[in-house]
Amino acid sequence: MNRNKLWTTFVLIIAFTLLALLIDIPQLPEWVPGHQWFSNNKVHLGLDLQGGTQLTYRTDTSDIPSGQKVSAVEGARDVIERRVNIFGVTESIIQTAKLENEWNLIIQLPGIEDVHSAVNMIGETPILEFKEQAPPHELSQSEKDAIAEYNSQAQERAQDILEKALASDADFSLLAQEYSEGPGSKTNGGDLGWFPKGMMIPEFEKAVFEDLIVGQITPELVTTNIGYHIIKKTDEKIDDQGEITEVMASHILFITQSEEMIRQNGQWQYTGLTGKQLQRASVTFSSQGGEPEVSLEFDKEGAKLFGEITGRNINKPVAIFLDNYPLSIPVVREKITSGQAVISGDFKLTEAKELARRLSAGALPVPIKLVGQQNIGPSLGKISVEKSVIAGLLGFLLVAIFMIGFYKWRGLLAIVALSIYALIVLALYKLIPVTLTLAGVAGFIISLGMAVDANILIFERIKDERRLGKPLSVAIDDGFRHAWTAIRDGNITTLIVCFILYQFGSGLVRGFGLTLGIGVLLSMLTAIVVTRTFLRITTR
Amino acid sequence: MFDFVSHGKKFLLISGIFLVISILALSIFGLKLGIDFKGGSILQVAYPGEKPVNSEIIEQLSPLDLGEINIRSTGTSSIILRFVEVTEDVHQQILNNLGDVQEERYESVGPVIGRDASRKARYAIILSLIAIILYVTWAFRKLSRVLKKGESWRYGIGATIALAHDVLILLGFFAILGYFKGVEINVYFVTAILTVLGYSVNDTIVIYDRIRENFLLHRSKDMIGTINLSLNETITRSLNTSLTTIFVLLAIYLFGGVSTQNFILAMMVGIVTGTWSSIAIASQFLLFKRKK
Repeated sequence: MNRNKLWTTFVLIIAFTLLALLIDIPQLPEWVPGHQWFSNNKVHLGLDLQGGTQLTYRTDTSDIPSGQKVSAVEGARDVIERRVNIFGVTESIIQTAKLENEWNLIIQLPGIEDVHSAVNMIGETPILEFKEQAPPHELSQSEKDAIAEYNSQAQERAQDILEKALASDADFSLLAQEYSEGPGSKTNGGDLGWFPKGMMIPEFEKAVFEDLIVGQITPELVTTNIGYHIIKKTDEKIDDQGEITEVMASHILFITQSEEMIRQNGQWQYTGLTGKQLQRASVTFSSQGGEPEVSLEFDKEGAKLFGEITGRNINKPVAIFLDNYPLSIPVVREKITSGQAVISGDFKLTEAKELARRLSAGALPVPIKLVGQQNIGPSLGKISVEKSVIAGLLGFLLVAIFMIGFYKWRGLLAIVALSIYALIVLALYKLIPVTLTLAGVAGFIISLGMAVDANILIFERIKDERRLGKPLSVAIDDGFRHAWTAIRDGNITTLIVCFILYQFGSGLVRGFGLTLGIGVLLSMLTAIVVTRTFLRITTR
Repeated sequence: MFDFVSHGKKFLLISGIFLVISILALSIFGLKLGIDFKGGSILQVAYPGEKPVNSEIIEQLSPLDLGEINIRSTGTSSIILRFVEVTEDVHQQILNNLGDVQEERYESVGPVIGRDASRKARYAIILSLIAIILYVTWAFRKLSRVLKKGESWRYGIGATIALAHDVLILLGFFAILGYFKGVEINVYFVTAILTVLGYSVNDTIVIYDRIRENFLLHRSKDMIGTINLSLNETITRSLNTSLTTIFVLLAIYLFGGVSTQNFILAMMVGIVTGTWSSIAIASQFLLFKRKK
């Protein structure tokens, strides 16, 4: 290499070092040109150094077709991201990670100490899904077994309560309130009110119109296609011919399942239309009764999907599921292309308002469950940073003393080269940016060790070449050339390990792989460019 | 010149003793898995005043079903509690029951995440080993051409045996630490193992590289002489590099805070065994069952 080239390299090294230094200094004085840009680059500290919370949620994608799982999970991530941003967390990181066929959402909230409110904030996010009916399917044996099992248990329960109801001191309405599974009648003590003949299921009707007298309770369970009933006839109206026209009765109902019911119910299938495509939710009032409703407005994708779904389900029901519960099951009258839907239900105004507010803040396309959390207080993180910095500097000092003691002036040059290396690595961490965790700091320090190793290899080789009687400048060149293969092979194997760490690891381990990888690459560069240039210039 | 090769048997004996101890420790004590791998919770809290005694803490928490509670002191005013994985509500209950404390750290890991972490860790280590065999074999392919076919595989396999030796001893060391001091294996530990792999193979490669060079340079058939020469030429570098790295690690170990101490300790052990195994195992393996 000629002299000009050598000095050009030297000037470039100095220029890069200065640039790195400008980036590294946290706050530059104002007279430095571009000081704003330089100072804007900040070291991103990981949760363990800065303090904060990491929450891991498992998403339940079991009823989503396999092709759409990824987009549903990403939709959930976007919704949570929006929500977290509303909450005012800066620099939050939300990642998806696949674990054993399940997708997890990893949410990092730096600086958030109050885990409880963070968990509540995310947990409050509603899950909104639009589902359509699946074509009926034949029941499997295990499904049939499950039905039989459920029904026999219902019968046992019913028999138990029947005995209680027949006891002389029994309060029928109290028992109904406590045990009845009958929707509606449960709250008013099982009372069904007055009804004429022809309104009820045949078995029920036979009991109240023929078997029972007023005040009597059925001595045995009455079985209908809904379930098991314990019936108490409370009053009756008789016409002129002595015929009973109307009866008043109460019942305690234990619902059973039938194959027919299972085939038709619960077969709501995923349509792809979820909270992900929701743009706005607001409270409106129905045109007929003026009851409060929640109006939904979809984005473009959602409007298109909704058009398709309503198009293929005319005169069929479409269910709106909120938090896994079918909130309203309207029947589609016509194809709706406006991208607007209405959830009507028995809303009170306050409930409708609350729901609209929750939906507006973002609704999840899939159910999520908290499965892991980490919380690190800021004081612990701060202590870690301070201690690590002091320890790192101390380690560097020890290395410097050793290198200078062992290799004299060459050792000094190596330390200068290492300092330049450290400055550039730090600047890269800021520029990329790399999120520094404790493991990352360790990775950096190990890479520093590798950088020292490259220098030691070179110096040992130069010594060897000198022993062979070569003049110093030739010995330096040959020493570098011979040391290179060892440096290359050693560093490449470390890079392979870094790559594997980065691919396999999550969070902390990933950060370690990245910092070590960057460090190893740069240490090769500084050893062969910086140390070499310095050695050459000083030997001339 | 020190005759490394003729001392080879002694080296092997020393390594053998350590390996036997490690395998015994691993099979008798086993590794103590942390919550990263088996799920569970860790809670670190600081008391503003006097720390209560352990029995008092256990009594405060007894209404909550936390399984076996492990309590350890850390620093002057903090304690670390370990218990089963709990929900967020129970977590808040625990803080309530403990009274006037400052939460410093809380981790709760579900069993699925734990299983996944240990599966990934195993994959990562095995994959790294395979990648290293392949790379070393490829990097030393020239020797197969000069000496005889398949020679470079000897280097790849030699480096990997040395690595397996390092990993086994490191695992054995932590099995003993786990049994006597309750040190748990976490994700950091796997990171340390992988780093040690990288570091140790780097050390082996430097020696192999010199052996390769001396072979190609002298075209010598004297295997023993070449290996001895190469080891003598590289020993200063090996020791200097290990020493400087140990300096840095020692500084972090002593002054860098509790949370990384075991991680750093693992690396220090790994670097010592890595340097040792390059000389005592990897280099000696080149002579294994070779026709003189």
